[in-house]
Amino acid sequence: MLLRRLPILLACFLSCADIVCGQDVPSVSGPAVSVPAESLVDFENDIQPILTKFGCNSGPCHGKARGQGGFQLSLLGFDSQQDHDAITKEGRGRRVFAGAPEQSLLVAKPTGLVPHGGGRRLEPGGSEAAALLQWIRQGSPRRAPAAPQLQSIQVSPAAITLAAQQTQQLTVTASYSDGTTRDITSLSAFQSNEAPIAGVTDGGLITAGGITGEAAIMARFLGRIAVCEVLIPRQQSVPSGVYAGLPRNNFIDPHVWSRLQRLNIVPSVVCDDHTFLRRAYTDIIGRIPTFEEVAAFLGDSAGDRRARLVDHLLQQPEFADFWANKWVDLLRPNPYRVGIKAVFNYDHWIRQSFHDRKPWDQFVRELITARGSTFRNGAVTLFRDRREPEEVATLVSRLFVGVRLECAKCHHHPFEVWGQDDFYSFAAWFAQIGRKGTGLSPPISGSEEFFFAGARGSVKHPVTGEVMTPRPLFGEAPAADSVEDSREALATWLTSPQNHLFSQVMANRVWADLMGRGLVDPVDDFRGTNPASNPPLLQSLGEHFRDSGFSLQELVRAITNSHVYQLSSLPNETNSGDTRSFSRHYRHRQRAEVLLDSVVQITGIPQDFQAMPPDSSSRQIWTHRTESVFLDTFGRPDPNQDPPCERTGESTVVQSLHLMNSEKLYSDVVSDRGLAKQLADGGRSADELSVELYRRIFSRDPVTEERELVRGLLEAEGAVRRQVLEDLIWAMLNSAEFAIQD
Amino acid sequence: MSVMRRCDGVTRRNAVQVGLGGMLGTGLASGLRAMAESRKPAGPAAKATSCILIWMDGGPTHFETFDPKPDAPAEYRGDFADIATAVSGVGYSEHMVKLAAGLNDYAMIRSIRHDQGNHGAGNHYMMTGAPPRIPVGCGAFVSFHPSMGSVAARELGRDNGLPAYFSMPQMSRSGGPNFLGARYAPFVAGDDPNSKGFKVRDVALPRDLSELRFTSRTELRAKVDRMVRLQDEAAGDPAAAYDEYYRQGFSLVTSVQAQQAFDIHQEPDAVRDRYGRNSFGQRCLLSRRLVEAGVPFVTVYDGGWDHHSDLFGALRKRLPEWDNSVATLIQDLKERGLLESTLVVALGEFGRTPKISTLSGSNTPGRDHWANAMSVLMAGGGTPGGTVVGATDRKGYSAVDRVLSPENFVSTVYHKLGIDPDKVVYSPEGRPTHLVSDPTPIRELI
Repeated sequence: MLLRRLPILLACFLSCADIVCGQDVPSVSGPAVSVPAESLVDFENDIQPILTKFGCNSGPCHGKARGQGGFQLSLLGFDSQQDHDAITKEGRGRRVFAGAPEQSLLVAKPTGLVPHGGGRRLEPGGSEAAALLQWIRQGSPRRAPAAPQLQSIQVSPAAITLAAQQTQQLTVTASYSDGTTRDITSLSAFQSNEAPIAGVTDGGLITAGGITGEAAIMARFLGRIAVCEVLIPRQQSVPSGVYAGLPRNNFIDPHVWSRLQRLNIVPSVVCDDHTFLRRAYTDIIGRIPTFEEVAAFLGDSAGDRRARLVDHLLQQPEFADFWANKWVDLLRPNPYRVGIKAVFNYDHWIRQSFHDRKPWDQFVRELITARGSTFRNGAVTLFRDRREPEEVATLVSRLFVGVRLECAKCHHHPFEVWGQDDFYSFAAWFAQIGRKGTGLSPPISGSEEFFFAGARGSVKHPVTGEVMTPRPLFGEAPAADSVEDSREALATWLTSPQNHLFSQVMANRVWADLMGRGLVDPVDDFRGTNPASNPPLLQSLGEHFRDSGFSLQELVRAITNSHVYQLSSLPNETNSGDTRSFSRHYRHRQRAEVLLDSVVQITGIPQDFQAMPPDSSSRQIWTHRTESVFLDTFGRPDPNQDPPCERTGESTVVQSLHLMNSEKLYSDVVSDRGLAKQLADGGRSADELSVELYRRIFSRDPVTEERELVRGLLEAEGAVRRQVLEDLIWAMLNSAEFAIQD
Repeated sequence: MSVMRRCDGVTRRNAVQVGLGGMLGTGLASGLRAMAESRKPAGPAAKATSCILIWMDGGPTHFETFDPKPDAPAEYRGDFADIATAVSGVGYSEHMVKLAAGLNDYAMIRSIRHDQGNHGAGNHYMMTGAPPRIPVGCGAFVSFHPSMGSVAARELGRDNGLPAYFSMPQMSRSGGPNFLGARYAPFVAGDDPNSKGFKVRDVALPRDLSELRFTSRTELRAKVDRMVRLQDEAAGDPAAAYDEYYRQGFSLVTSVQAQQAFDIHQEPDAVRDRYGRNSFGQRCLLSRRLVEAGVPFVTVYDGGWDHHSDLFGALRKRLPEWDNSVATLIQDLKERGLLESTLVVALGEFGRTPKISTLSGSNTPGRDHWANAMSVLMAGGGTPGGTVVGATDRKGYSAVDRVLSPENFVSTVYHKLGIDPDKVVYSPEGRPTHLVSDPTPIRELI
C-alpha cells in the first residue's frame, strides 16, 4: 500500500478544506492575518494567503477546474493574475465594490452575510475580513505600490533529530525583495512524506512516531516550498566498530552502511547460498533455477561463486526477455485500439533492444525520435498510441525523468515547481510530428501509419493561447529549430550526461526491482518534497549507470554484487521495523510471469498461449490480451486499461484458491507426461527423490527432517509412490516458500 | 512492492481473525452473510449490501422492451404490440409479460441519455459513470476509471475468503478496476451453469481430487512450508499475508455451506426450471446464490443485444426467456427477503434508433445505436416498486421528461450500496478524482 502514500497525503491535504466546505462553521481558527490600518494591502502578499489558508482556492471549492458557483480561482493560488482577474473583472463587478466594500461578495459571502455554499469561512469583523475590506477600499490593486516581491521561504529547523514521540514546532519565514521577513507559519500548509515516522499538524507541530527512520516535512506557502528533514534513530546506539567491520563489496555498501549508522540500525547477516541462488535467478532472468543449475551452484565452493553466477545469468537470453517484460508493461498499448501489427512490432522492438543490449540512452533516443512505418519500425507505435503532444509528454517525463507532469496539464502542480507553462512547453517538443496513413479505427486499427519530422503543428497554452516554444523541464537543450526534427534536440537534452535525473530514474527503477523498494518511492515521482531515502546512494548509482555507458547489465551486476543485495530477509533485534533503509532483504511475492514459468518448469507441462509459438514462456507474450487465468489471477495489468499501469505485488485469496484448486494445475501435476510420473518411474531412492523435489521446487537441498518426511510418506503402508510425489509437488507449490522471494 | 500495510492501520491479520472467528459456530455461508449484513456503510444510508448487474451487452432496444411507442408510425413502432403493466398508464412491449406484471416490485427509468454512441464508449460510461477521457472507437475495450463492481469490491469487500466481485461468464469491456488495482478486478467465472458438470472455478476442489486426499495434502503443506515467518508486524512480511489468504481459501473450500453456495446443483429442480434452463437464467440463479453467500457485486454479462438486423426475429426467441429469468430473479429475491438488501439493475450501453433500418447487405430490419434514450431497470435496495422515472418523446427519440445522465444512474447505485458517490479516490499520479463527477442520485428511487 505504500504505493498509495502520495494519494493519502494528498487526501489529507485537500480534504481538510473538503470537510469544512459545505458546513456552516464560524471560521477556521488560527493566528489572524492582520494588516495595519493605514498600510497598503497587496493582493499577492496579503490577500492570496487568506484565500489559501481558508480553503477558498482548494480543489473541492473554487480551485477546481470549473470553479464553484461560477467563481474560479487557480488551484492553491498559483496564478495570482488569473485570480485577481477573477475577483476584480468577472462576476459583473459584484465581487469587489469599492463604493461599498462591505457589499462586495468577496467579503459578504465568506462572512456569511450573503448565503454561501461553502458556509461561513471568515469571522465578520475579524482581521482577515478587515484586510479584505481594506484592500477593496484601496481599489483592489493587483500590486500595491512598492509592494515587495516574495523571494523565498525558509523553514526552521531545516533538519532535526528526534526521539520517538518527541515533538518539534516548525517556524516558516517568508523573505521579501525589500529585505523584510515575515512569520508565515500560521499561513503555511504542512505535510509529511512519511506520516508514520513523523507526522505534522496543520499548525506545523511535528510529532515523531514510534518507527525508526527519516521523513521530510514540507511547508508550502503561495507556491513556495521548504522542507525540514527529520531523523528518528533507534534509541540504543551501536558501536561504530560494527559498521567499520561490515563488508564493502562495491560502492553501494558504504552508502547503505552510513545511513544505517545514522539510524543505529545493524544490517542482517548475509543470506544462505541457496537463498541467493533463487533470488538471483528470479530477479535477473525471471525464473527459478533447474535441478542441474541448483546442483552446479551448490557444488561450487569457489569464493567468487556468487559473482560468477551473476555474470552467467546476465549472459542468458532470458535476461533480455524478463527485463523487456517489465518495460512492455509500461509502454505497450492495447492492440484492440492501436492495432495488432503495430503493437506486435512495438513489443518486438522493445524486446529486441534488450536482446541487443542496447544502451539505455540509445533506447530512449530511438524511441522518442522514432520515424517510419508502424509495419517496419515498432518504435513509432509510441506515436500511433499517444497521438497528442500532451500524451507523449506526460509519458516521457514520467518514465524517463521521473517527473509527473500530468497535474500541470490543468493546473500548477500542487507540490512542485511545474506549471502549465512548463507542461505545454515540454509538450511542444512533439508538436510537429508528421503522420501519414490511416490512424486508429478500433477494434482492428489494422492499417499502416507513417511518422516523420513534420513542419506544421504547434502546442498552445490552454489559457493564454500562446504558441509554446519547446523547452526542457530544466537545464539547456539545443534549440528546436537547430535540428531537422525537434525531437532530436529533446533526446540530446534527455540523455545528456548532465541530466542526472535521466540516469537516476532508471537506476532507481532497477534498484526497486531488485531490492523490493525504490530509493525514491513511488519510482516515477521524483521531486523535492519526495526525497530519496538515501540521496548519496541514488547519486552514485546514477553516475555508475551513466559512466558504464547506460548499461542495464552493468547496473544489475553492481546491485546484485553488493553485500546489501545479499543480506538475509530475517531481521535482527535492531531492524525488523526497517522497510526503507535496506538493512535486510525485503521479501516480495514473485510476479505473475515468474510464478507461471516456474510452474511450467517444475511440472514439465508447457502452457499453450494463444498467438505464441509452442513452448513460449509467459515472459515472451507480446500482449496482455493473450488469455491466461493464471497471469490474470496473479495481477498482470488489465489489458483494457489505458494508459497501462504498474502492477502491484499484493497477494489475494483468489491467488491462494487458484494454486489450491485450479483444474489446470491439478492436471499438470498428475499428468502422465509430468514430473511426478517421471520421478516415480525412475527407480530412485526416497532420499534421491527428496533431493529431486527440493532442488526443483525450492532450489535447495532438503534438510534432514525433510528427507525423513519424504521417506516416511513413501514408505508408509499402502503408499502409492506416484501419488505421494504428486501430493508433495502440490503441497510445495502451495507453500509460501514457492511464491514468496526470500 | 515488498511491503504491504493497510492504510487504515488495521492489519489483515486482525480483520481476518475477527471475521473467521465469528463464523465458526454458525457455518461459513451464514457467517459470511451475517458479516455482509453487519457491514456498516460509511456513506449515505445504505439499503443494499449487494448488487446484481445484468449487463445487456450491445445496447438493448428500448422500443421492444420497456418503452414501446404504440402511437408512433409503423416505421418507428416496429412489429411488436404493447401490453399493459401492473402500473396503469404504463405499457411494455409484448414479450415482457412477467416483468410487466411485476412492475410493482421494481422501478423503470426511461430517461437516461448520454452522447456516446459506440459500444466501447457507451460501455465505459454506463459501467463507470465517467465518459471515456479521449474519444474511443466502437470496438474499443478501454478503462479510464474504476467500474462500479471494482468500487463496490473495494468499499464493501471483506477479507472473508470470498471474491468480492464476480463477473460471469466474462468481464465486460470497462468492468475493471483501473487505478484501484488488480485486487479489485472481477473474479471471472466462465463456463456455463446450465451445463451438467458446471462449477465455479477455483473455489472447489479439482474434480478428481478426493476430499480425503485434499486434507492430507493440506497437512502435508503445513509440514513442507518451513519458510520462517517474520513475527514483527512492522516487518510487513508477505509470507504472513500469504498465510492469511491461504487460511481463508482453505476455509472456503472446506466449508460445506460455502461450497453449497457455489454449487448450483444444490438448487431444487423446480427452482432451476423457474429461472429457465438456459445459460442466462442459470447465471441469474447463481448470482442469487452468490449474493446469499455475501458477495457484494455480481455482473451477469449477457451478450448479443446489438440488433442491427433481424431485430424482431431474434427478440421473439430471446425476450420471453429473458423476461422470465429477470422477473424470476426479482421475485425469488423478494420471496427470500433478500430484495431489500440486494440491488438488481439491468441495462446496456445505450438504446436503439427510433426508425427501423435495414443496413446494406442485410435483408432483415434492425435498429442501430442510439444514446439519446435508453431504459434501465432497477429493483431492490429500497427502490420504490412501480415507479417509472422520466419519459421519452412520442417517437422514442430522446429522453424529454426528467432527463438523467449515466452519472445520476451510477450515483444511485453507489448511494444504495452506501458508497458516497462524491468520494475522492486517487489516481496513481496522485490526482484526486471523484467516484462520480455529478454525485446526484435519482431522487425518485431513493
